[in-house]
Amino acid sequence: MNDADTIDLQARLEPGEVGLVEARDFVSTETFLFESGQSLPGFTLRYETYGHLNAARDNVVLICHALSGDHHCAGIHALTDRKPGWWNNLIGPGKAVDTNRFFVLCSNCLGGCQGSTGPSSINPATGRPYGITFPFVTVRDMVRAQKRLLDSLGIPSLYAVIGGSMGGMQVLQWGIEYPSYVRRMLAMATTARESAQGIGFNEVGRQAIMQDPEWNHGDYPRNGGPRTGLAIARMMAHITYVSDASMDRKFGRRRKSVAENAAYSFDVQFEVESYLRYQGESFINRFDANSYLYITRAIDHFDLAAAYGSLEKAFAAVEAETLVVGFTSDWLFPPQQNRDIALALLRAGKRASYAELDTDLGHDSFLLESEQLYALVRGFLR
Amino acid sequence: MQKTAVKRSVDMQIIADWVAPGSRVLDLGCGRGVLLEALVQQKEVFAVGVDLEFEKISACVRRGITAYQGDMMEFMRSFPDGHFDRVICSRTLEEVSDPAAVIAEALRVASAVTVGFVNHAYWKNRLDALWHGRKPRNDVYTTSWHESRPANPVSIVDFEAFCAAKKIRIARRALLRGDWKTPCVFRPNLFAGYALYDLVR
Repeated sequence: MNDADTIDLQARLEPGEVGLVEARDFVSTETFLFESGQSLPGFTLRYETYGHLNAARDNVVLICHALSGDHHCAGIHALTDRKPGWWNNLIGPGKAVDTNRFFVLCSNCLGGCQGSTGPSSINPATGRPYGITFPFVTVRDMVRAQKRLLDSLGIPSLYAVIGGSMGGMQVLQWGIEYPSYVRRMLAMATTARESAQGIGFNEVGRQAIMQDPEWNHGDYPRNGGPRTGLAIARMMAHITYVSDASMDRKFGRRRKSVAENAAYSFDVQFEVESYLRYQGESFINRFDANSYLYITRAIDHFDLAAAYGSLEKAFAAVEAETLVVGFTSDWLFPPQQNRDIALALLRAGKRASYAELDTDLGHDSFLLESEQLYALVRGFLR
Repeated sequence: MQKTAVKRSVDMQIIADWVAPGSRVLDLGCGRGVLLEALVQQKEVFAVGVDLEFEKISACVRRGITAYQGDMMEFMRSFPDGHFDRVICSRTLEEVSDPAAVIAEALRVASAVTVGFVNHAYWKNRLDALWHGRKPRNDVYTTSWHESRPANPVSIVDFEAFCAAKKIRIARRALLRGDWKTPCVFRPNLFAGYALYDLVR
């Protein structure tokens, strides 16, 4: 790299940014037994880290991603990247999750499609993608796989586990599965029990994929498959991540400029249609349809009360201090479902706080650029 | 402002004296968690606060105090009988629309309830009303009528009549003069500025 490049780089990497990051792969060669009873001879998890592990190894913050997220939660991969990682506003030097202080780690979940082993990975026995012969994945499987990664890095405990949505489910599972390992749980916009409404939305998404002839019972080539079905699934899911108010503010009834005779056709007329189509199109270029089926199924099966007898029993072993954050306009994981988590932890005699942010951005509010949210997170990680 | 802070620490000390070490304490209307922080430091209690405002909860979390943002009645209804050892309502009852229901629910979830309030019948407050013909203003009701929150002022006589009618036993009381420090023995409903009660089932 010459001097000119260095100057360019520094200009691009403003203070307070994680900057250029690289993903790494953890390969486990030990058999992994899934909750379903199925197994894999091993697996790969792709992950990123930011900041430095301190000498005491007690400054590790684990970030857990949501359904369509991945390990790239902060920084950029190349100077030409249009967007940084998905939680870049929260994570970085001097930010709420301060990488000057914490060693932050995020991995793509098991069953995912961004470099971790999932249904699009090649089955060594057949030389072809697993497709729907891949073992069924649960949130607990995701957490147990991540634990192997952390063990391989010699990390003896977690300062905090943080996540929203499905990431929040993993947070709770972490505290339950490894009580003495987790010192703080920070779960946002999540639930301890996927609701009928949530399962319903997931099922519509899956049907869109599975009814696409290109799905072919999960047997399709890389870069092929049910692109139409996956795009529709994403369009629908995207609506559940926002709110009536935020869509109205963003799009209203504004129309695309179309030819006069197009008004009486089914071509794109409204900006909201155009936006959702764009969301669908960009999603199919980065996400695998079978992974979408597996991960939504993992979410459907998430029910801590059923798995442990009751929510209080589920939390009985938890040692972590917990903060749950709900958002008023989240109708996918409404505030009450978040309150229920904190209340059950308190009934179980644990330290659990609940805070609720008044936003109108819907479920995706947890990704909001909000000084209030930053201050809360910073305070919890004090 | 500073005067109020000093007054606050006096009433906090009395409340702390009544709290058993290591007990489970629920503070309704916990604000920024100052009282609970003191109780954790002095008595190593298991503390939980409830308040309505995000900023208050955020301040509690920053202090390391467990706090829940939401309605105090809904919160208490989520717990079995006697889950807490003590519920504290320090300058909270004046703010709620149904104090009787709050006290009843507090006595269900805890065996003891601490209630602290500004005595509305304190002579300066009476003077404000009678002589100046205006809404009383004091260290707690600091605002004019047009900028204040809805409040439900209570006097010592009111409160003790309520406890008698509801057959709520008063285990301890601390009635303080206008400085919120010196015990008030002579005609407390007229000369006490602040009242603290320890209620038991």
